[in-house]
Amino acid sequence: MPSSLSILIAGAAGQGVQSAAAILGKTLHRLGFYVYTSQDYQSRVRGGHNFMQIRFSHGPLAAPVRTHEFLLALNNESLEAHLDDLAPDGLALCMDADKGDVRDPRLRVLSEDVGPQAARGEKFVAMKLLSMLFAWLGFPPETLRQAVEAQFKKSLKPDVLQANLDAVQAVASAVDARDVRAVPFTPAVTHGRLLLTGNDAIALGMVAAGVGVYVGYPMTPSTSILNALAGYGPEVGIAVEQVEDEVSALNAAIGASYAGARSATGSSGAGMGLMTEAMGLAGITETPVVIVDAQRAGPSTGMATRTEQSDLLFVVHASHGEFPRAVIAPATVEDGFYLAAEAFNIADRWQIPVFLMDDMAFADAESSVPSFDLGRVRIDRGPLAPEPGEVRLFRRYEVTESGVSPRAFPVLSKWIVACDSHEHDEVGRMTDNLENRNRQMEKRMRKLKGIAASFPGPEIVGAPAEDLVVCWGSTVGPVLEAIGRLRERGVSVAAAVFRYLYPMNRERVQEALSGFRRIVSVEGNYSGQLGRLIQMETCTRIHGHIGKVDGRAFTVEFAVERIQEVLGGAS
Amino acid sequence: MKCVERFDPFEPQWCPGCGNFTLLDALIQALSDLAIPVTDMVMITGIGQASKLGFSVNVNLFDGLHGRVLPTVLGVAMANHRARILAVSGDGGFYAEGGNHLIHNARRNVDVAVLASDNRVYGLTKGQAAPTSAPDFTTKVHPEGTGSHPFNPTALALAAGATFVARGFTGNKAELASLIKEAVEHRGFALLDILSPCISFNKKNTFAWFKERARPVGPDHDPSDLHAAWKLATLQEERLPTGVFYRTERPVFGAHLTALRGDPIAVRTQGYTPERVRPLLERFR
Repeated sequence: MPSSLSILIAGAAGQGVQSAAAILGKTLHRLGFYVYTSQDYQSRVRGGHNFMQIRFSHGPLAAPVRTHEFLLALNNESLEAHLDDLAPDGLALCMDADKGDVRDPRLRVLSEDVGPQAARGEKFVAMKLLSMLFAWLGFPPETLRQAVEAQFKKSLKPDVLQANLDAVQAVASAVDARDVRAVPFTPAVTHGRLLLTGNDAIALGMVAAGVGVYVGYPMTPSTSILNALAGYGPEVGIAVEQVEDEVSALNAAIGASYAGARSATGSSGAGMGLMTEAMGLAGITETPVVIVDAQRAGPSTGMATRTEQSDLLFVVHASHGEFPRAVIAPATVEDGFYLAAEAFNIADRWQIPVFLMDDMAFADAESSVPSFDLGRVRIDRGPLAPEPGEVRLFRRYEVTESGVSPRAFPVLSKWIVACDSHEHDEVGRMTDNLENRNRQMEKRMRKLKGIAASFPGPEIVGAPAEDLVVCWGSTVGPVLEAIGRLRERGVSVAAAVFRYLYPMNRERVQEALSGFRRIVSVEGNYSGQLGRLIQMETCTRIHGHIGKVDGRAFTVEFAVERIQEVLGGAS
Repeated sequence: MKCVERFDPFEPQWCPGCGNFTLLDALIQALSDLAIPVTDMVMITGIGQASKLGFSVNVNLFDGLHGRVLPTVLGVAMANHRARILAVSGDGGFYAEGGNHLIHNARRNVDVAVLASDNRVYGLTKGQAAPTSAPDFTTKVHPEGTGSHPFNPTALALAAGATFVARGFTGNKAELASLIKEAVEHRGFALLDILSPCISFNKKNTFAWFKERARPVGPDHDPSDLHAAWKLATLQEERLPTGVFYRTERPVFGAHLTALRGDPIAVRTQGYTPERVRPLLERFR
C-alpha cells in the first residue's frame, strides 16, 4: 500500500495545467489530506512543455517524486514525455485526439463526445481529465463541482462556468468502474492547516514581523513575494514599490530601515549581483535589512525558471570589504514563515544585512502545513536609545562591548541621527583617523561572534546512524524522506539540517557533526557550497558531495539512489 | 523649536573659493528662513565634493553610496512620508552613476528637494569629465575631448516628469537661497541644478564663464508653461537662465498607496504585533 499518491498534470503553457493543479491541490487539502505540489515550467507565456505534480498523503509531505500513480496529459507531447514516469500499475489519461501512436495498457482515452456540446475544445480538456481523475479516486463529482465553482465563479462567464460544471458531471458518469481505486489512506481533521508555497510562507512571516516597506524588481522566482506583499499592502499597511533596478531596491530598503520601518527586498541571480554594492552599505552604516535570495540556476541569466542552490558562498562573501552579516535558510515551508520573521529580529538585534536563502524548488512548491502559531513569533527591535530631553546629535556608532550601538530613528525623535557609508566616528561623521578606524572596524566585526553564539547548530534527523548527509533549503525535504527509505534498505544514514548557515556556531556544529564515519553534503549545486562552508568555518572534514545542476528539483528517488551510491557501501 | 544650523565642529574639505561654500551658506539661510524643525529634516547625500555638505549642517543625515541618493530617498519617503527630505550630491552622482534613479524618481514625483551641484567636472577624483562637460572638454582621460553631447539636467527632468525644475548659480547667493527655499517647499520632485564652478579642475567653465552666461529668467517667464520651460532648459551654452523653469502640481509618490495614509509606517511599526498576519491566513485554508 503506498502511503502517498502522486498525480502528474502536463501540457503546454496556457492549457490550464496550473489551474487544474490548483483545484486538485486545494480540494485534496480541504478533504483533509496533506498535499505537496511542485511545478516545472519554461520561461514563456504560451506553449512549451509544463507540468505540475500533486502528491497527497495522510501525513506531511515535503518533496517531489519521480514516479507517479496518475498522469493527466493535455497533449500528445506530454503523454509521450511522461509515460516512463508512470508507476507499473498507474493510470494515464488523455483526449482521444492526443493519443497518437501510444499503445500502453495503462492509458485511458476520453472521447471528445463526452459532455455537453458547449464544453468542446481545448479549453475544457484540463477540466475533463481532472473529472475522470476524481472518479478514479472514488470522490463524488460534487466535490470537484464545488471546487470549480469556487475557483472560477469570478473569472469565467456564467455560461462557460456552467459548461465546465456539466462536463465534470458527464465525464464522472463515463468512468469505467474497474478503474476506480479507493485512496489507500484516510484523511485527517485539518485543524486549520494551510496550503501554501515557500514564498507565500516567507511573505506571511514578513507581515508577522511587521515589515513596512518592501522594494523589488521582478525576477523569477522572487517575484511571488513582491506580488504577495503588494497584494497585502493596502490591507495591512505595507508600502511596496517596483523600482527601476535591484540597485535601487536595496538602497531604498536601507533608506526605509534608517527611517524606522522594517524593510526588505528580494531578488534572484543577476539581481543579487546588482545588490552587492549596497550590501556593504548596510554593513558599514549598520542598517538592519532583510534580503531574500530566491536562487535560480546561474551564472548570469542561467536558466530563469530552474532551481539551484549556488548562491550560498556568494552571499557569505558578497560586496567588497569586511562586515558582519547573517545567512539563514528555511528547510520547510513552515520554517519559511518563522525564519522570515526571525530574519528581521536578527537584522535589528545586530544591525546587519540578513540573507534569507530560498530557491526555486522551495519558492514555488506548495505544502499542507499546520496553521502558524503566532505565539512563536516575537518582535525584537534590538537596543533602542531613550529619548533625549532636547534636540541632540546621536551617538549612532557608540563603541560597545557587543558591537551593537543603540538605535534611534530620524524624525521620530529629538535625536539627530547621522549614518555614513564612509568610515565614521561615533556620531557618524566621516573620518580616516586610524585609531577611530580600528575601533569602529573592531566594533562592527565583533558582532559576528555574538551572532554565531546566538545561532543554533544543525538539527540532526535519523541518528544514531553510521554516516551523515548535510543539507539545506529545498534538498532537506527529499533527503529526509530518502533517509527513511534508505534505512528500510539497510543503509544507516542521518541528516544534518542547516538553517543557520552563517556565521556558524563552531562548537555547536562540530559537536553535531561528530561521531559519524563519513559526512557528505547533498546540495543543488556543483561545488558543494555548504560542505565547503562547514569546512571553512568549523574545520570539520566533509568527505564528499552529491550535487545537481540540471535545474530540476531533487526527487526522493534521486536522493535515495545517489546517497546509496555514495554511502551504501557494497550492499 | 530648534531650526537647522551650521554644524560648527566640521570643517568642509573644499578648496578655498569653491562654489560649494556659497551653496552651504545659501542652504543654511534657506532652511533657517523656512523654520522647519531640524528634527523633521532628513538629508541624503552621496559621494563627491558636494555630498560632503551634509557634514556641515546639523540635520539627520544618511551619507550613502555614489549615485544612490535617490533610491535611499525613496526608502525614507516610504517609511516616513512626513519627513522633509533633501538630496544633495553632484553632477557625477545624480547625472552619471545615478542617472537611472533620477529619471524614475522624477516620474514617481517623490517628495524631495534635489540639490545638484553641477560644476561640469569631477573634482574629488581630480578632474575627469562630468556628464555635463562640453564635447571639447579635455582631461587626462579625454585628451581629445569627450566627444559626447552634454547631459541636460533640466531638460531631462522636464521630460521625466519632475514637478519643479530650476537652475541656480552660486554667483547669485540670494537667488540660490530663494530657489532652495522654493524647492524644499514644493510638494513633489524638485530638481535644482546648481551651477557651481570648480576653481581647481575646470579651467573651461570658470566662475567668469558662468557669470557671463547666468541670467535670472525674469518676471516675464510663466513657470506653469511647459513649452516656455523647455525653451529655457534647452539654452545650453550662449545663455544659462537661472530661476524656476517649471512648476506644476501632481500627487506625490505614495498618494496612491493606502499604506501611506495617516501615520507614517515608521510610527505604526512601533505598534505592530504578529497578530497583524492573522487575517491573511484564512485564504490559505
